[in-house]
Amino acid sequence: MSSVLSIRHLKKAYPGDPGRSDGSVLEDFNLELEEREFLCILGPSGCGKTTLLRCIAGFEPYEGEIRIQDQVKCEPGTDRIMVFQDFNQLFPWKTVEKNIQYPLRKKGIRDKEELEQITAEYLEKVKLPGTEKKYPHQLSGGMKQRVAIARALALKPKIILMDEPFAALDAMTRNRLQAELLHISETEDCTFVFITHNIQEAIVLGSRIILMSGSGKVKIDHRNTLPRPITPSTDGYGELWKLFHDALEE
Amino acid sequence: MKKEKLQSCFVQLVFVAAVASVWEATARAHIFGARSELIFPTLEAIGSAFVKNFASGYAGVSFWIYILNSMKLLLLGLVLGIAGAVLFSGLSVASRVFYYIYNLVVSVFDLIPGVALLPVIIILFGIRPSVIVFLVVHAVIWPMSRNILDGFAAIPRIYVEAGKNIGLNQLELLTGVYIPAATSYLVSGLKVSWARAWRGLISAEMIFGIASCPGIGLYINQMRTNMKNAEMYATLIVIVLIGVLVQYGILEPIETHTVKKWGMTK
Repeated sequence: MSSVLSIRHLKKAYPGDPGRSDGSVLEDFNLELEEREFLCILGPSGCGKTTLLRCIAGFEPYEGEIRIQDQVKCEPGTDRIMVFQDFNQLFPWKTVEKNIQYPLRKKGIRDKEELEQITAEYLEKVKLPGTEKKYPHQLSGGMKQRVAIARALALKPKIILMDEPFAALDAMTRNRLQAELLHISETEDCTFVFITHNIQEAIVLGSRIILMSGSGKVKIDHRNTLPRPITPSTDGYGELWKLFHDALEE
Repeated sequence: MKKEKLQSCFVQLVFVAAVASVWEATARAHIFGARSELIFPTLEAIGSAFVKNFASGYAGVSFWIYILNSMKLLLLGLVLGIAGAVLFSGLSVASRVFYYIYNLVVSVFDLIPGVALLPVIIILFGIRPSVIVFLVVHAVIWPMSRNILDGFAAIPRIYVEAGKNIGLNQLELLTGVYIPAATSYLVSGLKVSWARAWRGLISAEMIFGIASCPGIGLYINQMRTNMKNAEMYATLIVIVLIGVLVQYGILEPIETHTVKKWGMTK
């Protein structure tokens, strides 16, 4: 398998941040990610998870090198689509279908029928058929996140970057969305980088789980081989949970 | 919602009726003696003056011509002012240096009443209708720019990043993200600008009415010099009516069809 994402000697600092002595968040961070992997990143608050994701997305300047399929990337692009935690990531002035179609149009798909067909296909995938004409403010938080995922998938990016997309949802909606995202990741030809605070979420979703230390270093890099779908009653779940839990407590 | 609207309408109607009755009582009481007819003409006199305004105009020129001239200059000034505000505020998004300079320019010129610029403008342009257009542009462009700049500054970072993420360039970001995301600021900018433009126009026309292009401000002045105070009050009512018409006929529908529909305001 080829490497879809390759990060070498990534260094990122926010000079003048009073919380840190030298403002450094990430120092000599390295990562190789294979195609179709589902990488979950765990770590304490302020360890640089979000910063890492923002560097990959091209939202932040950085030192070092980030390659997507062997091409150096510094600017944002549709090969890496970010799904934020904030429910308000959809454009409120566009309907659901326009939110999905606008980026596709910018990408060069002009045919109305094709656009409609793609919209219907991906709304179906996130289990929201029939919401095409709704405005975002008419949707619940969970529904907005589903549309954001559909918008990202429809662009057929190499990597989908997810920054705690379910963190602000209630537990039931969260579980349902986890199961659906897992299903989507198994059927779509796409690689995922998913940040979370939640160990359960990481174990259920990740084919690979990285735990970062408070100083932005990779502390655990674990290949998750438990048989799917994974629930707390799966053999080995408890040990894995304890492994990450103890590492986070240290 | 609907009930509340009805209620507010009712209260406002009662208030207007009360003011009108006090006015009428004052007019009939002749409190100011001989001057009373000039200061407080009866409602009937104002009403018939209102009709006479439209029926006969002044010195052979129809009142409609006055209104038309004013609206023509106003519209031209509004369009130029808003276009300028959008253009320069847009450039401020593209360039930091331009933003610093334009921010200063807006803050300074927003403080200068248009009328105070009149002497300079007259020396520059002479006494021509374009002077009034210039004043309207001055009245519009600064408050509009201030609103747009503030609106752009208040845009959640997430919209801009989502826009960059889907591959929008600078111009597409401006038209596809910045402007729609700042619509509530644009609408309130429009309201302020429209009010300022309307006032600026009337003031300019009153200070120097141009006989070749007579407007509503000039009409008021002509009524004043002829001591036709009832006609003067009637013209004030026309000014208010046009303002209300624009507010409810144009600005409010814009608001309902944008920010209200999008759930961006309550």
